[in-house]
Parts: sequence; structure tokens; C-alpha cells
Amino acid sequence: MKNKTAHKKPAVNKIYYIYVGILAVLFFVFHTIPFLRGVLYSFTDWKGYGNWNFVGLRNYLHMFSDADTGNAYLFTFKFAIIATILVNVISLVLACALNAKIKFKNTIKAFYFLPYMLGSLIVGFIFNYIFANLIPDLGKSLGISVLSSNILGTNHAIWGIIAVAVWTGCAFNTLIYISGLQSIDTDVYEAAALDGATGIRRFTKITFPLLAPSFTINMVLSAKGYLMVYDQIMAMTEGGPGTSTTSIAVLIYKKGFGGGQFAYQSANAVTLFIVVVLISIFQLRILEKREEKLG
Amino acid sequence: MKKRKFVSLLLVGTLVAGMATVTGCGSSDGKSSSKNGKTELELFSTKAENKEVVQQLVDKFNESHEDVTIKITAPADAGTVLKTRMAKNDMPDIVMMGGDNNYTEVESAGMLVDLSDQDYVSDIQDSYMQMVYDVNKDKEEKAYGIPYATNASGVIYNVDKFEELGLEVPKTWDEFIAVLDKIKAAGEQPLLMTYKDAWTSLCPWNSIAPDLQPDNFTDDRKAGKTTFAKTHEEIAEKYLTLLDYAQDDFMGLTYDDGNKKFANGEAVMIINGNWAINQYKNSNPDVNVNMFALPASDDESKNYVTSGVDVLLGVCEGSENEEMAKEFVSFMMEPENAQTYIDDQFAFSAIKGVEQNNETVAGVKEDIANGKVANFPDHYYPSGFDLSALTSELCLNYSNGMDNQKNITQFLKQCDEKYDIANVD
Repeated sequence: MKNKTAHKKPAVNKIYYIYVGILAVLFFVFHTIPFLRGVLYSFTDWKGYGNWNFVGLRNYLHMFSDADTGNAYLFTFKFAIIATILVNVISLVLACALNAKIKFKNTIKAFYFLPYMLGSLIVGFIFNYIFANLIPDLGKSLGISVLSSNILGTNHAIWGIIAVAVWTGCAFNTLIYISGLQSIDTDVYEAAALDGATGIRRFTKITFPLLAPSFTINMVLSAKGYLMVYDQIMAMTEGGPGTSTTSIAVLIYKKGFGGGQFAYQSANAVTLFIVVVLISIFQLRILEKREEKLG
Repeated sequence: MKKRKFVSLLLVGTLVAGMATVTGCGSSDGKSSSKNGKTELELFSTKAENKEVVQQLVDKFNESHEDVTIKITAPADAGTVLKTRMAKNDMPDIVMMGGDNNYTEVESAGMLVDLSDQDYVSDIQDSYMQMVYDVNKDKEEKAYGIPYATNASGVIYNVDKFEELGLEVPKTWDEFIAVLDKIKAAGEQPLLMTYKDAWTSLCPWNSIAPDLQPDNFTDDRKAGKTTFAKTHEEIAEKYLTLLDYAQDDFMGLTYDDGNKKFANGEAVMIINGNWAINQYKNSNPDVNVNMFALPASDDESKNYVTSGVDVLLGVCEGSENEEMAKEFVSFMMEPENAQTYIDDQFAFSAIKGVEQNNETVAGVKEDIANGKVANFPDHYYPSGFDLSALTSELCLNYSNGMDNQKNITQFLKQCDEKYDIANVD
């Protein structure tokens, strides 16, 4: 009995190890191994079935001469930059507004959080209907020619997708900002008020700097998410019209599975992975440095 | 401490390994037949639309065979699923799929049994058997796939509106344009296009190209002896001409919404296939439609009905129940069963003497029975060549007001470039 109590602490540790261990193994089996196999296949000419040979760096070199891939990267970057900025600006404004002492605060919060609970495919289909029927009808009755056709069938399809992505994305980002705002000590604001800092000045000098950790998380996560954008596009345009809204992830799926370019698109996926990692590290470096400075 | 970590890792390892074994057993159990003493065969179908009628036929087969049960698998995105299963060497016993480039990939991987020696092969219309040979690897003349049901693509028109406006079915391109102009002059919408779904922008292409492209184009193009730019200019021109008669915002209308509009008489014609007729009837049971081959040429004899092998049957190599699978194929080929299938699907049969008598497709019935048909040209393009994205871009440029000549030149150049990229691997 005495012995047991003496060993109590390590016994608890074991449980932790098991928990972490299970997850580590599951993660390794279902994520890391497939990923490593993908990396392996990116050096082959595998079509997704049948025999294959190693072809060295051919797939990677081919990417530079493939206009489809180039265009997809351009689209993806354009989309990611615009969406990340818009999402963060809008959710910051929303969060500040929702953090103020207004009526029905919780009801409004729930409204803004709603899109996050809906699957992105559902959201995509709903907006498909809105863009195809409601907005053109409205445009026609108001006599605005820009609005009277389905935006998803024009050169501006990207803006339709951005609008939906931002609407959905704001939910989660606003939540993070609100929790960030709530962690700011009210004493700070009182002190600022005594020093005469209010309104915009209070926001730029006090609120925004103190939100630095939330800002970092939101910037990194949304940039990463939008660089890998897939489901909204599949639900709304399937990469069209033409190939004007084909993101890298959509291209990988369409050409990799549908077009028998499994190995080549694996190379593309590995490249996308590296790009996303590099951008995330770059963002973290800069934003964390900023946090340190402010801290 | 380290030792303990090792032990727990080992424990988890065994746990997961155990799980893997269980799942492993599960999947092999599903495949290797025998349930309650009955042999179970898997029928893999790539067409979601025919699931009910196939189930009906399978039930009939199961009833007459006490020792066998056939189970249908018809997942979404079936072509991709079949290819992944091929990768795992986990093939079903029987496949029901289109005679398209998915079939070519399965056939060229040596996954299908040669059925040339079966009795029913001689009952199949030559033109459709030839279409299957054409998509075999190296055009081998062996029946790895048995054409079963075929489809037809062309112009679907609203019969009542045609009568109202006093129009006749056009037989040549000039007549077709004249009909379109008359409808326009009468203040009706001549053509409805649903190009929000890019695949529908291929329908006119598939109907125009076979009439006008040079003989052997598909072979010559594959061998690099000719190009789209040299041969397809007229096709692209006529393709764009048709857009002049489309409704506003034709790039923004989806297939489903468009079908409803057409069924409710918002346009006189739509270019699509027999598979869409069901949808019109569902939205408006009273709609009175018929079909004619898009007359892209002024030479009447060249205006083929675009008709491809929509469903073919194949038996998989290495199936443990090959004989039973063959028996099922032969059961499906019986005229009575083939009739049940096409009646349900508004489709056509590849079997001689089995005729589609529904009036909604009466306009193309005769040509099909006489074999005046041309396969969908895109069945012969390499599978990585996504022409619908290019035609969709062509239409987008048109709606943005780009000069037609510039648009066509750019489009054909892209066709050649993309074709070459897809043709290599």
C-alpha cells in the first residue's frame, strides 16, 4: 500500500503517455505515412494505379512550364491575400462592436457565429442559389446591369467566392478577437481615458497592440486556410468559368484523380505544402517579433 | 522513465496493429463471397441515374438464381472510385460503365475479360461494337466491354412551340440558322444554354465536331499529324454562332435551373442529350419535346446523331465467380431486359431489334437504328484533356465581347497545347 502511494505520480504520467501515444500513432498512420507516400509518388510517373517508375525531378520541373499550375497559383495567392485581409479587417471591426455595451449582444453574436456551424458545401449551395436567382432579379428590377447576371458566370466569379469565404470566415475570426478583447484589462482603458485617448486613437494605441496574439493566430490560420481553398470553389464554380477560379487544391483534385496525373499532382501538392509552411513561418516570424516588441 | 514510455508505445502499437488486422479482415470478408451459403457478386455501376432500374433487373436475376446474390455498388464520383480500387487490386466482379476514357483506363490496365466468344456479341449493332473497339487499347477488336445502352445528343425542341410558330425540323446548317432567326423574330427565346455547369458547354461541340472534323482526326491528332488549329476553325465558328441565339447570362444558368425553364416553355430549343428528358418531364409532366440531330453541315448525309455507349457491361479479370458474372451479362442482354432498361431511361439499346419507342426521342430513332451515328468526340480525347474548361473559357470571352476571330485562334491554340500536355502521360 505504501509502495503504491509512493509511485502514484509516475502512474499518472503513464496515462498521459498513452493518450499522447495513441494520438501520435493515429496521426502518424493516417496523416504522416500517407503524406510521405505522396512525397514518394511525386518522384514517380504513377497514374494512381498500375506500374510506376522513378522519374526523378521531372514532375517538379514540369510544373514550371505548365500554364495551368502557374495560373492556379496566381489565382490562389490573389484569393488568399484579399480574403485574409478582408476577413481580418471585418472581424476586427465586428469584434469591437460586439464587445461594446450594446443590446441583444449575445443574440447578435450567435447570428455572426452561425455560418461557422454550417458546412462550407451547404453555404456554397445556398449562395449558388442567391447568386443565380435572387441577386440577378434584384439587379434587373433596380436596372443595375452589373448585378443582373450571375456573378459566378463572369470574370468576376472570384469576388463571388471571396464574398462567401469572408462571410463564413468572419465567424471564427470574430470569436478569437472577442476573446482577445475580453482578456484586455479594463484598467488599461480607464488609464487611457484619463490620458485623453479615446475613439480611433484608443484603438490604434491600446486595443490593437494588446490584441497582437489574436491577430497573429488569425492571420496565420486564415492565410493557411485560404491558400488551401477547395470546398467553397467546388460547391460554387468547380473552378470555372473556364479555369478562372481554379485554385491549387482544386487543380490537384481535378487533374490528379480525374485526369490520371496522380504523380504530377502529388508533386504539386508537396510544393503547395512547402509554400504554405514557408508563408506561415514567415508570418509567424514577423508577427511574433511584433508581439515581443509590443510586449 | 524511458522504459515506461517504450512499454506504453508498444501497447498502443499493438492496439493499432490489432485494429488494422480487424479492418483488413472486414474488407476481405466483403469481397470473397459466401453469405449464408450464397455466392455474392459485386456489380459496380458508374451511373447514378439508372440505379433503380438496374436494381429491378438485379432482383429479377437474384430471384431466378437461388445460390447467387448480386450486390450493386454505385458510389458518387464512381469513375475515380473505380480507379482507386483498381490501384488496390480490389476489383468488383462485374462493371457497368460508360464507353469513355474511364473504360479505356480500366481496359488498358488488363482488368477486363475478353467476352468475344459469347453468343450475344453477334446481336449487337456494329456501329456501337466498333465504338468499344475504338476505345480499346491499340484499338484491339475484342469485346472487353459489351455495349448495352446508348445515348443521343442533339437539339431537343419544344414540339408545341414548333407547331405554334410553323417551324419544320431543319436538315442542314442553313435551315437551322433560318429556324433560329424565325424564332428570334417571333420574340421567343431560340436557344437556352446552361453553361454555369461547364460540361453542358461541350454538348454543342460534341454535336458539331463529328459532322465537320476530317476523317481520322482523332487518330491523326493522337499521332501528332494534325492539329485543332488546322482543322477545327469552322467548328469553333459555328459553335460561337449558336451563342448569338442564347439567352442573356447563359454563363450563369445552371443545368438544373435551365431544365426547369426549358420544361416550362421559356425557350424553344436546348442542346443536350436524351438523359435530360427525364428532368424536363419531372418539372413539367405536360411538356411535349422531341429531338433532332444538330445539322452542322450543309451536306445532309454528314449530319450524324451524336450517340455514344452510355453503359457497357464488363466482367473483371480475376473474379472468383467469372462464370456467374458472364451469366449475369448474358441475362442483361436478353431483349426483354434490355427493353425494360431503355424504357426506364429514355435511352437506346445497342442490341439489334430492341427499339426505343418513346415519342420524346422519335426524331433521332431512325438514324440510330440505321447506324447513322457518330460517337462523342471527347470519348477519344486523352482523359487529362479537359475540353469543357476550354469551351467554357471560349464562351466567357465571347460574353466579355472579345473579337470572335481572336477568340477562336486563341481557343484552338489552347486546345492543341492542352491536348499535347495530356497526351504525353
